[in-house]
Amino acid sequence: MTDRELERKLAQAITRAAPDDLEAILSRCGAQNGSVMEMKELKSNGNIIDVEVTEVRPKKKLRPWLAAACAALVLLGAGGGGLVYHQSYAVASVVSLDVNPSIELKVNRGERVISCTALNTEAAAVLFDMNGGADLKGTKLDVAVNAIVGALVREGYMDSISSAILISVEDKDQARAQRLQAELVASVDGVLKTQAPGTSVLSQVLDANTPASEYMTFDSGLSAGKAALVYKVMEMNGTIATNSTTAFDKLAALSVEELNDLLKAGETRIPIGKPAAAMAVETYAGTAAINSAVTDVDPELDETPPHYEVKLKTAWGEFEYIVDAFTGEVLSGPKDVLSLAPGGNGQTSEPPAPEVGTPTSPSVNPPQTPSSDTGSQDVGQDAAKRAALDHAGLTESQVTGMTVERDWDDGRLEYEIEFWCGTTEYDYTIDGHSCSILKHEWDHHNEGSHHDEPHRGGSSAGGASTGDIGAEAAKAAALAHAGVTESQTAKMKVDRDWDDGRLEYDVEFDVGRTEYEYTIDGVTGAVLEYEQDID
Amino acid sequence: MLTLLGAQTTEDETARRDRELEQLLLQVGRGDREAFAQLYGLTRGAVYALALSLLRDAHEAQDVAQDAFVKVWENAPSYRPQGSPMAWLLTVARNLARSRLRRSERQTTLDEAEWNAIPAAAPDVSHEDRLVLQDALARLGAEEGQIVLLHAVTGLKHREIAQLLELPLSTVLSKYHRGLKKLKALMKGESDR
Repeated sequence: MTDRELERKLAQAITRAAPDDLEAILSRCGAQNGSVMEMKELKSNGNIIDVEVTEVRPKKKLRPWLAAACAALVLLGAGGGGLVYHQSYAVASVVSLDVNPSIELKVNRGERVISCTALNTEAAAVLFDMNGGADLKGTKLDVAVNAIVGALVREGYMDSISSAILISVEDKDQARAQRLQAELVASVDGVLKTQAPGTSVLSQVLDANTPASEYMTFDSGLSAGKAALVYKVMEMNGTIATNSTTAFDKLAALSVEELNDLLKAGETRIPIGKPAAAMAVETYAGTAAINSAVTDVDPELDETPPHYEVKLKTAWGEFEYIVDAFTGEVLSGPKDVLSLAPGGNGQTSEPPAPEVGTPTSPSVNPPQTPSSDTGSQDVGQDAAKRAALDHAGLTESQVTGMTVERDWDDGRLEYEIEFWCGTTEYDYTIDGHSCSILKHEWDHHNEGSHHDEPHRGGSSAGGASTGDIGAEAAKAAALAHAGVTESQTAKMKVDRDWDDGRLEYDVEFDVGRTEYEYTIDGVTGAVLEYEQDID
Repeated sequence: MLTLLGAQTTEDETARRDRELEQLLLQVGRGDREAFAQLYGLTRGAVYALALSLLRDAHEAQDVAQDAFVKVWENAPSYRPQGSPMAWLLTVARNLARSRLRRSERQTTLDEAEWNAIPAAAPDVSHEDRLVLQDALARLGAEEGQIVLLHAVTGLKHREIAQLLELPLSTVLSKYHRGLKKLKALMKGESDR
């Protein structure tokens, strides 16, 4: 079965299993939000220059969060009060809030919100309960900002040890921008001190007279505020002179906190980013295949040496790591934490939970093969490999494409070993403690047949299959089709596979932000399928 | 070359589907119930798949899918094209599912007996459907199951799935390939029995 056929099968199964509740849902669909208040937008050259509220939303329609935000500001003595309707507004300032979600607020001279826009999907989720931001129209800027900050806290964006929020105010009137900036910073700081202590509030004033191109806002998912912060870092590290879009892309992918750390430290190199640091730790710790393991990454780019602090949380404990911010090398922390798991070193408590991420669920499946010493040491990958080869009656020099994966299944340490001899594919699962063979499979692809017993004695398949172009040629075919050289690529991966009796190579690589996936015919070198995905 | 064209066609289909969903969402925003019914027909599988893969409970997934569509109806007037209407719909469902998980502070594991009971309630579900869903949701790792199912059912790209599940793209890619491989092996094992 091909990947596509399998996916089609899954999709059909879900379609048939999904309940059809249209009637029930329609019976619950009453009035739609936003249909009460109609705002007339006056536009000039595509820009909103004025907004007139033509119908007043009844006060009882106010959402609880908005009422709470108003009340909080009244208590703080910071203004608020009743909303004023029937006013005409023109855009005076643009305020952007960036964490990971990026939100842009346009406000008038009276400091009331004219529009509130989510600049990325995460922001759309944050604004969801505010009617996508529409509920904020007409409110005072400080009320709106407080409501958004509250939503950011509720959605968990301020949870990490040292999150940072960037407030940017863009205005032609710099004095007004600075006053707004000071007021907003004080207000947000007050909210975060109680709701998310440890969070930094960063702020900046942008001059609306500066041409937008200078802030490099060509990336539509970026606010002018974050683009300006990226621009500052590029000025500092010299990449602005070369107008490097690669540097811009890499920096734009960093969080506000990381960018700020770079500026503070005067660091000119570009760090690997939080996701890469998390991946480096998971690989080092051997937990990349364990779904229940999660990471919490805190950048410390202004310290010496610049690094990421990564906390790895597993079902059997928490481990801390330091990762070099530029090389991705793990500088400290325990390697291979699976061996530290109860059951991995002879301790008495239960083995780590199975992969489903439910540490509390019991392991139910006993090993198929008796394994009396499940609490003993890991036999290691070499011993597991030897056991599989011995069982197959082959030596390492006779086989190709060997892969060894260390895994936990239902609380038991296992090695999954795959290799080829000619056109015969061998699959073994070896017990990681006793070295016994738990499962073995043999696929002889020439005949399309499948056997449960391994092929013994080695060489019947005639060595490397005739007509196999090999991994290098498959790679070359994919690169030629993409029009790039290997030096331009990253994360190159070539897998040899059989699909419906046909030898294929799956080739994957990245070029900048573009991800390529190819399926190459293993005999002719023809491109059978390709996908290009721009990140 | 034919398969090449096939890959291109899939991309075109995704773009066409996105345009259709955008259009329907705009109509729903104007209170069009017929457009809402069409939107529901096109996306209910994807929304249910996401809810089911996160909650791992068919009844709760059904509730969340219903709530998600009610929210979509209520908030459609404020919908602004964000590039991927499917991602928007699924973000709504994801938030509801997560908040339900937070409230109950639990994540359940479905054992096979439980799973057998669920699709049996739906008359159109075949034995094969039940097996493939059971393998994808009860026997793959939680995230592997989510990723494989989302890719198969929603038509989202790996990058969009990474964004939706808030996982690094590399994790999504490796878990997708690994999950698919495991699923194939599981199904092969079943057909050999």
